[in-house]
Amino acid sequence: MTLDRDTAATDALLTDLYLDALLASVVLDAVAAGTPDDAAGQLDPAARRAADRLRHDLVRVHPSFRFEERLATRLAEAAVAMRVPLAAGAEGRVIAFRPGPGLDLDPGAAPPEAGADREEVPPNPSAPERIEADGDPARRVPTRPLLIGGALTSAALSIAGAAFVAWRLGRPGRASTPMARAARAVRDARLTSSLGSTVATRARSTARRLD
Amino acid sequence: MARPGLGRVKVTGGAGPASADRPARIAHLDRDRPLVEAAQRDPLQFDSLYRRYLAQVYSFAFYELGDHHDAEDATERTFLAALAGLGRFEERARPADGDGASTFRVWLFQIARNVIANQHRGRRRHPQAPLEAAALVADPLDVEGGATTRDEAAAAWQAVGRLPADRRRAVVLRFVEEMSTAEIAGILGRSEGAVRVLIHRALRTVGRDLDGRGTSSHDSDRR
Repeated sequence: MTLDRDTAATDALLTDLYLDALLASVVLDAVAAGTPDDAAGQLDPAARRAADRLRHDLVRVHPSFRFEERLATRLAEAAVAMRVPLAAGAEGRVIAFRPGPGLDLDPGAAPPEAGADREEVPPNPSAPERIEADGDPARRVPTRPLLIGGALTSAALSIAGAAFVAWRLGRPGRASTPMARAARAVRDARLTSSLGSTVATRARSTARRLD
Repeated sequence: MARPGLGRVKVTGGAGPASADRPARIAHLDRDRPLVEAAQRDPLQFDSLYRRYLAQVYSFAFYELGDHHDAEDATERTFLAALAGLGRFEERARPADGDGASTFRVWLFQIARNVIANQHRGRRRHPQAPLEAAALVADPLDVEGGATTRDEAAAAWQAVGRLPADRRRAVVLRFVEEMSTAEIAGILGRSEGAVRVLIHRALRTVGRDLDGRGTSSHDSDRR
């Protein structure tokens, strides 16, 4: 039983070696030159013939160009959809925020020594390892995680949006396109008619009371 | 074809004399590492990986499903799933995987295998069109040799199509995709030794099948 298994494993290994050579086109070149490979001689003839046939007949099939481009477009759309969350603020990351000397975020902590603090501040504030590596607890500046990037972007967009709306409402020469003028005229007419009807109703009620 | 190499990766982190003397770790580089990293940074860069592996994935699906439309469907699902899951992909290339290994390719074909298995479950039937498929393979300009080539290719395809699923997959991955035993083992979730035995037995079966067919066709010619 074990012998059979060993024999099968050995045959399988020989076949594998033969296939490695075959797929690298070494065997075909050797056969063409009249010097067959050693592994091929020890191989089961049926397996060898099958390997040679399959090497020739099993070819790679390429899809149509139309399908290739259609799928490429679909993948690009999916990729763009994946990028949208990034643009909307997912790129914001939590970094260590080091407050300045005047900003005391931890009232219980001892005040840092003047002068020494400036030397301790690393050039890159997003390096928590350096802060942790500082052995002196008195010099350790309290760190606060801060989400930047996405939050700043959205805040900037909000401010820009508010400024734009204010400018649109406050600018002297308001929209002068025909459509805007027509819309404004309709709105003014409605206002006038509603005001007129209100005044007429009040006048009628006043007249009745006087009667 | 780009060949991978053994990259020297600098060990970072940790300060002190002990880490300074530590030798650099040797890591096996995946052939597709630059493309994968670019695609993980920017999903639009996935196009390069798609172009590289489209024909391979499509061929695998076509040999498994035997129908162009089903193969297109499986290919589309595979690449969409790969794009969606690319952020979770981790390269695990080892020196033992050998030159030319790509763990991304193994990962991609694992997805393809699952997608194809789902489609198989959906339709509950075997590939039915080896003859039509073989007709596509034959050279359309070679009128005289075309018929013989087509018959031989069809016979080979039919013989492969009659194999049990695992053997058929292993043979297709070995001959069509020209994958190493290690890569096939990764895709099929088996040991390398088991894959070798699968392929060896598949070849013996196909050989006997083709020999028997050749004998019977000669007999029928004589008759």
